[in-house]
Amino acid sequence: MYHSALFGESRLSWWARPLIRLFVAMALPVAMPAMVTAVLWILPGDPAEILCPREICSGTDALAAKWGLDQGALHYFQHWMSNALRGEFGNSWRVEQGFPVADLVWESVPYTALLIALSLLPLMLGSVATAAGVLPRRLDWFWQAVGLAPAVILALFAAARIEIGFGAQSYVGLPLALRMLSGATVLVLADGAFAAAVVGTRATFEEELKQRYVQIAVLRGESVFLNSLPNVLPALVGQFRGRVLHVMSGTVVVEVVLGIPGIGELLFDGTLLQDFGVVLASTWAFSVMSAAVLLVHSVVELGHGLWVRRHPVVDDVAAAPAAARGAA
Amino acid sequence: MSRRRVVRGPFLWAAGGLFAMLCVASVLAPEFMPTPELKASFLPPWSAPPFGNDDRGLPLHLYAMQGAAIVTVPSVFAALVVAMLATFAGLVRCLGLPWLDALIHVVGEFTGALPRLVVVLVAALLVPREWKSLYPIALTWALLAAPGAMDEAAATAGRLGGERFVESLKAHGFSGLRIYGYHVLWLNLRPILARQAGEVLMQVVFLEIALSYLALRRNEPSFTHPDSASSWAVLLYQGYTALLGVPLYHSLAFGLGLVAAVALFAQFLRLGARAR
Repeated sequence: MYHSALFGESRLSWWARPLIRLFVAMALPVAMPAMVTAVLWILPGDPAEILCPREICSGTDALAAKWGLDQGALHYFQHWMSNALRGEFGNSWRVEQGFPVADLVWESVPYTALLIALSLLPLMLGSVATAAGVLPRRLDWFWQAVGLAPAVILALFAAARIEIGFGAQSYVGLPLALRMLSGATVLVLADGAFAAAVVGTRATFEEELKQRYVQIAVLRGESVFLNSLPNVLPALVGQFRGRVLHVMSGTVVVEVVLGIPGIGELLFDGTLLQDFGVVLASTWAFSVMSAAVLLVHSVVELGHGLWVRRHPVVDDVAAAPAAARGAA
Repeated sequence: MSRRRVVRGPFLWAAGGLFAMLCVASVLAPEFMPTPELKASFLPPWSAPPFGNDDRGLPLHLYAMQGAAIVTVPSVFAALVVAMLATFAGLVRCLGLPWLDALIHVVGEFTGALPRLVVVLVAALLVPREWKSLYPIALTWALLAAPGAMDEAAATAGRLGGERFVESLKAHGFSGLRIYGYHVLWLNLRPILARQAGEVLMQVVFLEIALSYLALRRNEPSFTHPDSASSWAVLLYQGYTALLGVPLYHSLAFGLGLVAAVALFAQFLRLGARAR
């Protein structure tokens, strides 16, 4: 039985969850485009008619042949995946008609990556400050109250402030930097992200403090933090992964409201206009980022499990009785 | 009456009152907005009670009612889905079926692996343009939120003792219905179910507002409701224009008030359904 720091005993072996996560991380970048392809074929009518409706467009069959939409879902998916592995995502259907989707994606990824990084830094610092006892418990209610505000509301205030100061077309230089910083602030505060980081870290350590080995460490005058950290590390990494996914989810709203040209904005525009070329590429980008985070989590969890369950070094075992005889 | 029940009572009444207002607004919502009356544009609440008019002279309370009609039933549906799945997970833990526990973990890992809004937008693609509704999006959100709720419910049942708890109650001669329905579900899982259901209801409402607001920013129709209906996002968008100088601050205040009411409902439900 594996003992979880947060939820008590689980019936899964210690290696089961990280292996499941590893499998999911490998499967995600394939499963996500497969799901979007399935949606494309489930929709009523011929997929080619989404691209070029017959009532207003005369070259539907030719476009279907060009985009590989005339040979079924499996062929389209295989064709798209093999191109995606080479960094080719075809052309946009509607968002920027005819423009290579790869260029749209590569231009957008840095903005989203920077936005996520700027958001995760305060979240990490908040967790560390909570673990170190710097952030007092009496402020928890404040973070939770602020966290009740949805991201869209905080983002619209920030967007209005920037547009008042710099004009509605202010998307380069300092205004863009302010949009990025405002977006990161919104992602940190809204929807309970910071509150969850603080409260989750605090709950994890408090649960661990009840363990006997920690109480013995206190009696021995040892550091409680250093003693408990190795055992709570998997739980903290899991919580942090949740924060990353939460922030990635929020980038869609924040990028559209604040006009940041990231992957989230691209995905939303693609969904709104049913541009499957853009939707496929942007969901694939999100799935790759999520898979990377999941991979890190599973590796940390596996490594931690192996380290906790390692056998003691033979020299230490042999030396212990000898030391006891010498003391006697 | 115990002191805790007295403390919980007002919260439950408050949550019930807010929910009743949402339901009444939803039922009484007009199918179509009236013809704009430009002479009555931008009137504040004291000139055009109860909440004033927008830039087209339309009363703001009509937007609130139509928005309520859009979100009420789908968000309640999503809340019920999460509550049912969490109940299932809690009862499964008490039944002692490890293979089902493992299956729930695996499904949870898959659904929890991606950013939720990305999955919701893919689900939104499924909605035919001529039949726009919040239901597919609400159901998707509920299925994405369910693993967390199921995990918490299963952990609570596990802390009770799981199948050992059930066996000990059976030894007392209690029936299965009493054990699972009263001792497990009502006494122990109820707070978690209420909190998770309230949170999901709130999240679905906020999700609808966010998606509709984003569509408004793009001057495109939303995929959460028909074009004839107006979401609460319209009030927030009008409020955004107010921040830029248009005299619609009452619209902003009203929109924020509606959002706050939904958030308060979720909090009151959580506080009112706390365990003894």
